[in-house]
Amino acid sequence: MDPSMVQQTFKAAPLTTEFFLQGSVMENSLETLVNRLKGLCDNADYQQESFQDHEMVFHIKNTSVPTPLVFRVRHSLVQTECWSLRYLGHAEVGDKNRPTLVRSYIDCPTSENVAQFIGELGFRMDHEFVVKGFYFHKGRMKITVSKFYKMNQPGNTTNDTIETVCPSYLVELSVVTSSGQEAVGDDMKNFAEQLKPLVTLEKTDHRKIQLAQT
Amino acid sequence: MGVVCVFACPVPEGKSGQQVVDGLQKQVEMMGATKSGNFLVDCETYQSNPQNVTQTPQQCVVNILHNSEHPASCFSVTESGQILVSDLLFEDLMSKLTMAKAGRESFYSQRKGFKIESRGQRYEVGDFIIKIGSVSLASNFRGILIEVEYCPCVILNECWNMMKELLQSMVGNSAETPPPVLKHKPDTVYTPSDTILQYLDHFNNFRKAVSAPPPSR
Repeated sequence: MDPSMVQQTFKAAPLTTEFFLQGSVMENSLETLVNRLKGLCDNADYQQESFQDHEMVFHIKNTSVPTPLVFRVRHSLVQTECWSLRYLGHAEVGDKNRPTLVRSYIDCPTSENVAQFIGELGFRMDHEFVVKGFYFHKGRMKITVSKFYKMNQPGNTTNDTIETVCPSYLVELSVVTSSGQEAVGDDMKNFAEQLKPLVTLEKTDHRKIQLAQT
Repeated sequence: MGVVCVFACPVPEGKSGQQVVDGLQKQVEMMGATKSGNFLVDCETYQSNPQNVTQTPQQCVVNILHNSEHPASCFSVTESGQILVSDLLFEDLMSKLTMAKAGRESFYSQRKGFKIESRGQRYEVGDFIIKIGSVSLASNFRGILIEVEYCPCVILNECWNMMKELLQSMVGNSAETPPPVLKHKPDTVYTPSDTILQYLDHFNNFRKAVSAPPPSR
């Protein structure tokens, strides 16, 4: 393909909108859910794919407004050459007719010096954690079942220095696409129906969680 | 992907840039080189608004470059020479930094009139790729850059003498020693980032020379 064509195609429809639903399961129901997902999803013939990521959350602050801009550096602990820089927008709940949450989502694969690089831009690390789990896909839908760990020593991701934040697993069903593709929400709603009652995936209002914490 | 060297080609007084480019193109065609499309290396510059970024009081500058040889990548270089190779989506992340939102002023802004690029014809001859580019800064012609790539090798020291011969026939004595950017790594594996650092070095020189009157077209 002509180089300028590659760039044009890329710029014409950047995949930067994420439609998603969230839910959670307790540790003892994990196996049942994973078996159900294995049966429903595309990668049924293979062993399920697992992942272990280290996420570092960076803030850049501004004198005029206190809320920082947040970038996240993800680093795979399994394939250690994989690094990416992410931006996640605020989750919008929207009206009742909209089947899923929507947020802006930019996940950009980068070289391994990304943390130093954004440090030079003025970002400072706020916190970090480890996330481990399983990954499934069905068409363009992605399902992750993941557990979060806090790190007791800064920068140390070895198993004996991390501990679970809580015993449940976060289940996320998501599609990343270009903006305006609302139809994808219906497919997701149907898929979520098939996972009931093992897990209830819904539009979790993040603002309510934040309010409950304060 | 092999070793790449980029050199500026002087434009003699009394000649226009186009005349020199035509002469060079004729010369490589005489060598038996065949045309293989166009190429483009471009660079845009962003600077931090220090009054807005609380963590770094001094101003930071980031150059974002693209190379048509690696069309799905974006190269970002800070002043200290830290280079980040990433997907093209990095530009969307950059736009989050340049966007003013909800009463917040932007962290970074694009430097106006600083877009610089080298574009021109790409040639292939045997194991070499030759690119003859006209450099323009904010659409004004600034000079000529010649890029020569020797594809079968990734260690500069092992192919420099051969590249030197070809380069000297085009740019003369300025190709006596390897490009300054590559001096510290004569024996390590060459990467696409090294090409970008060479272009950035030349682009910075062209920008510095901007106060001098531009050569006639």
